Amino acid sequence: MRLVIYEDETYGRLYPLTYLRATFELRCGMHSAAERIAALFPDAEVAYHARGALAKILPQRYPDVSVNDAASLSGDVLLVNGRVIDRAVAAIAGETDTVWTKDGDVLAAAVSAEKAAAFYGSGSAAFLADAAAGLNQVEVDWRTVTWPWDLVNHNADLLTKDFAAAGRDGVDGDLHANSVILGNPNQLYIAPGADVLPLVCLDCREGPITIDEGAVVNPNTYIQGPCYIGRDTQIVGAKIREGCSIGPVCRVGGEVEESIIHGYSNKYHDGFLGHAYVGEWVNLGALTTNSDIKNDYSPVKVHAEGDFVDTGCIKVGCFIGDHTKTSIGTYFNTGTHVGLMTLLVGSGGVLPKFLPSFIWFAGGAITKGFGLNSLLETARAAMARRKRELTAEEEELIRAVHALTDEERRAAVKKDRRKLLGR
Amino acid sequence: MSEDVLERVKKVTAQVLGCDASTLTEETRFAGDLGAESLDSIKLVVAFDEEFGIEMEDDAALQVQNIGKAVAFIQKTIEEQK
Repeated sequence: MRLVIYEDETYGRLYPLTYLRATFELRCGMHSAAERIAALFPDAEVAYHARGALAKILPQRYPDVSVNDAASLSGDVLLVNGRVIDRAVAAIAGETDTVWTKDGDVLAAAVSAEKAAAFYGSGSAAFLADAAAGLNQVEVDWRTVTWPWDLVNHNADLLTKDFAAAGRDGVDGDLHANSVILGNPNQLYIAPGADVLPLVCLDCREGPITIDEGAVVNPNTYIQGPCYIGRDTQIVGAKIREGCSIGPVCRVGGEVEESIIHGYSNKYHDGFLGHAYVGEWVNLGALTTNSDIKNDYSPVKVHAEGDFVDTGCIKVGCFIGDHTKTSIGTYFNTGTHVGLMTLLVGSGGVLPKFLPSFIWFAGGAITKGFGLNSLLETARAAMARRKRELTAEEEELIRAVHALTDEERRAAVKKDRRKLLGR
Repeated sequence: MSEDVLERVKKVTAQVLGCDASTLTEETRFAGDLGAESLDSIKLVVAFDEEFGIEMEDDAALQVQNIGKAVAFIQKTIEEQK
């Protein structure tokens, strides 16, 4: 059976997190949505389908997975929406000629290869609206992700469920004798090559903790479960509160709570990060801090799809696009949307709640800065420090996003011109 | 035209960097002589854009080292964006 994990047309609601990645690549719990869905169908051959702009990037990231290739389909095909983060989707294995919906959204469909090939040509909404007419329809209540804050809100629960599903506990790496485990030790897994140094407290009383391969937890760190520390990440004397997923090759210090750091990002020093999703190749300078609750405890609004959307939640942090860099002492307001590849210099107060992609925030104002080429050079320098190169395809995609976000950026820069010049 | 542009560049430079316009020459370097840092460079580009009603290309504009070269660059941009 072929399992096609697809990105539907709502990916824009998840900006800035989906500028350079498909919806199903977003992390929630211990895994991305795609990893979780694929693991639930272990006998299926996995393929991905996403917007055309990602067609060159995805094969680079996943060389063993067919991407947007209708010719690779054969036999029965299961299409699963990459916004599904619910393990209950596993129940549809073996079904045929059925579509599963929730509040009008198609979350999965079991179709023939011929029908699935049409899907590749027409886009998910049109195809599924057409195909659904001829299929059995089942309304489900699976958990899905629509907005960036959904990822954060579901993270703690998914961490607990993913840990149980992984079926691993105990210490396969190193745990120094002068560190402690609070709670049940079978709610802890330290993977091979992971190293927990002295004076670390691993508190599993409220949820499980996984420390993945090659990760290092340095002294004077408190980690409260549920929590996932990714491969080759270093925790450098931090307070990691409940509900955190930290992806691979990160450097994290200070205080982090109920947040997701996708991977290859640094928050080395003191400063608070809460109820946030941080993309890749982000560097948060010392004392960068975000607010995740308003002083009046009212629901938080976040900029999405060109407007401020009421989240209905009182605890919402910030959503930081890939390659963004903050200076020392940068303060984010509650519910801030930070675009792709921004360069932010703290101004003493909180920054605006919407920071378009590729801007410099300096002198208390949104500016053009030194332009895209300068930002790309910075990106290359940052990636080189982790022995990675910016590929031509990645640069092409970044330039495409630059064009896509041109209008909103120009408007913000124009609005702040007088502020910059002190007029 | 060039004299007018030169005088206006000196005026804007003095306003942004807080120096005396009468002391500026075509050879005066923004960073080397006037101590302009990266934020100052960004402000200068924005201020020149506002003064002359143009939009300078960031990468090229930020390579301009002195007042004389700024005048030449602004004149070229004005011609291109007429």
